[in-house]
Amino acid sequence: MVMKKLLRNPLSMAGMLILLVFILVAVFAPWIAPTPANYANDPYRVPRYGWGSNPSPPTKEHPMGLTQGKYDIFYGIVWGTRTAFQVGLIVTGFSCCIGIIIGSISAYIGGKFDEVVMRFVDVFMSFPFLIAAIVITTVLGRGLDKVILALIMFRWTAYARLIRGNVLQVKQEEYIMAARAGGVTHAKILLRHILPNTIFPVLIQASMNMGSIVVTASTLSFLGLGAPEGYADWGQMISFARNWILGTPTNPLAYWYTVVWPGLAIVLFVLSWNLIGDAFRDIMDPRIQG
Amino acid sequence: MLTFIARRLLFLPVVLIGVTLLIFVAMSFLSPYQLVSTYIKSPEELKNQSLDDLVRKYGLDQPVHIRYMNWMKNLLKGDLGYSVSANMPVTEAIAKRFPATLELALFATIPVVMGGIWLGTISAKHYNKPLDHFSRVFAIVGWSLPDFVFGLILLMLFYGVLGWFPPGRLSMWADSIVLTGDFVRYTGLNTIDALLNKRLDIFWDAVRHLIAPVITLAYLWWAYLLRITRSSMLEVMNKDYVRTARAKGLTERVVMNRHVRRNALIPVATVSGSMVLGLLGGVVIVETVFDYKGIGLLTATGAQQLDYTLVLGTTLFYGLLLVLINLVVDVLYAIIDPRVRLE
Repeated sequence: MVMKKLLRNPLSMAGMLILLVFILVAVFAPWIAPTPANYANDPYRVPRYGWGSNPSPPTKEHPMGLTQGKYDIFYGIVWGTRTAFQVGLIVTGFSCCIGIIIGSISAYIGGKFDEVVMRFVDVFMSFPFLIAAIVITTVLGRGLDKVILALIMFRWTAYARLIRGNVLQVKQEEYIMAARAGGVTHAKILLRHILPNTIFPVLIQASMNMGSIVVTASTLSFLGLGAPEGYADWGQMISFARNWILGTPTNPLAYWYTVVWPGLAIVLFVLSWNLIGDAFRDIMDPRIQG
Repeated sequence: MLTFIARRLLFLPVVLIGVTLLIFVAMSFLSPYQLVSTYIKSPEELKNQSLDDLVRKYGLDQPVHIRYMNWMKNLLKGDLGYSVSANMPVTEAIAKRFPATLELALFATIPVVMGGIWLGTISAKHYNKPLDHFSRVFAIVGWSLPDFVFGLILLMLFYGVLGWFPPGRLSMWADSIVLTGDFVRYTGLNTIDALLNKRLDIFWDAVRHLIAPVITLAYLWWAYLLRITRSSMLEVMNKDYVRTARAKGLTERVVMNRHVRRNALIPVATVSGSMVLGLLGGVVIVETVFDYKGIGLLTATGAQQLDYTLVLGTTLFYGLLLVLINLVVDVLYAIIDPRVRLE
C-alpha cells in the first residue's frame, strides 16, 4: 500500500532510483574502481598518483581528477559510498536499538522513573548535535570509530522520546490490560504486545535520518575531526578542496573538480533519502492530504 | 504569566546542573595529567611545579564528587582554564570572539524568520499549484545541501569569480582602522560600532563580509520554516473561524494575514528552539568555511589541535547560552499562545 503510493509519486520514485544507484556503487565498488595492486591490503585507502600537493585536472585514467595530495577523486567517491552506508547503518542501527530499549522501558514503567529518564534525555538534547559530536571526538581522539560512537551517543535520545510517546498511548489500550489480567509477564507484554504496535513509525523515522547522519559525519571529517587522512570519505574529499577553492589568479574555477564531484555525491545521497522521507510523511500524515 | 515564568526559572538550575554534569562526564574520559590544563590559570604555573604537584594541588586525585564540587567552584568564578591553542584563558577567548558570532547570528535570524514565513505563506496560498510544487522542490533540495558544500560553492563563485563577498570579518584596510585608538569599540559588533563611529565605509565592508555566511546559515532554515509554515497554514485554513471570516465578506488579504497566519505561526514558534540549536551548530561550519573569527571557528580549531580545555569551555558556554535562549523562547511562546500557560 505504502510502497505503491511511493512508486506513484515522481519525487519519491526519483529518490529511490538515486538510492539504488548508490547501493549498486557501494556493492560493486571493487569492480567500478579497482584497487591498485600496491594498495590491495587496505582498499579504503585512496591511492595517490604523484607527490605534488596541488590538484590535477581530470584525465582519461582519473576521470574526476586528483585532489590535494594527488588523491584520486573518483576512487575516493566510489569507496566513500561504502563508508557513507557503513556510518549511516551502524549509527542508525545502534542508536535506534538503544533508544527503543530505554524509551519503551521508561514509558512502560512510568512514574518517577520515567520522569528521571526524560530529564536525562532533555539534557542530552540541549546540546547542538554537531557541538556534542565535536566534544566527544576531541576527548576520545580522532578516527571514524570515534565519530560513529559520538553520533550514537547523541542520537539515541531522539528515538527514545519518539517511542516513549507511542508506548504511553498503547499502554492504555484494553488488550494490554487483558494481557495483564491473564497473567502475562511484563517482559512478554512489552515484547509481544506493545513493541509490535509502536516500533514501525520509529524505524521509518530512523531510516529517513540516514541522510542527515551521513552529513554530520562528513561535516566532522570536513572539520578535520573524522576519518584519518587518505581514508575514502566524502567529507574529507571536500576538506581537501578547501585550500583550492579560489583557483589560480588567472582562472578562479581552475580546481572546480575538487569540490564539485564529492559535493555532488553528498548532495545526491542526502537528497535521495529526503525525497523518500518527504513522500513518506505525506502518506503517513493524513492532515496534509488535500 | 508571572507564575509561568517563575516556574520556568525554578526549573533552570536543574537543567544547568544537568549540562555541567554531562560536560564533567566527558572530562572524566581524560586522565588527571591531561586535565591539569583545564585548571591552571597561566602557563607560568607549569614552570616550577611538576605535573604530580599540580594534580595534587587541584585535587585531581580526589574522589569524583569532590572533583565535581571543585570544578563547579572554579566555574562559578568564571574560570575555565588556560587554552593552549588560543594562547589565553578560555574565558578571555570566549569574551573576545563572542561578539562576532552574535553579529552573525543576529544578521542570520532576521532573514531566516521573515523569509521562511513569507515563502511558507505563498506556498500555502498557491496550494497544489506550480508555485507550491516549486517551493516544495526548493525546500527538499535546500534541506539536502550540506552547509559546508554550499558555503564553499558560494565562496568559489562570489569571491573567486566575482570578488563580491570576501571571507573573514573585515578587509585589511578596515581592520587597521578598527584597531587604532580613534575607532571606539562600543559593542564589538563591527556593523553597529561602525555606525556609532559614523564610518559608513567600514559598515559596508562589514556587511559585505556577512552576506555569504548569512546566506549559508539561512537557506537551510528557510527550507525548514517554509515547510512548517505551509503545513500549519493549510491546517488553519480549514478551520471554521476562517470560513466565518470569509463569509463576513473580509478581503482575502485580511483573512490570510489576520486570521490564518497569526494562528498558523504558533507551531512555527515551537520549532524556534530547535532552530537556535541548529544555528549555533551551523555557526561552527560557516565560520570555518568563511574564516570568520567567532566562537565557532575557535571551537573548530581548538578541536583540531585537541585543545580539550577550550572545547569543553566553549561547549559549556554553548550549553548555558542555549538554556537561556530556550527560556526566552518558552516565555515568548506563552505570550503568543495563551493556552500554554494553562497547562
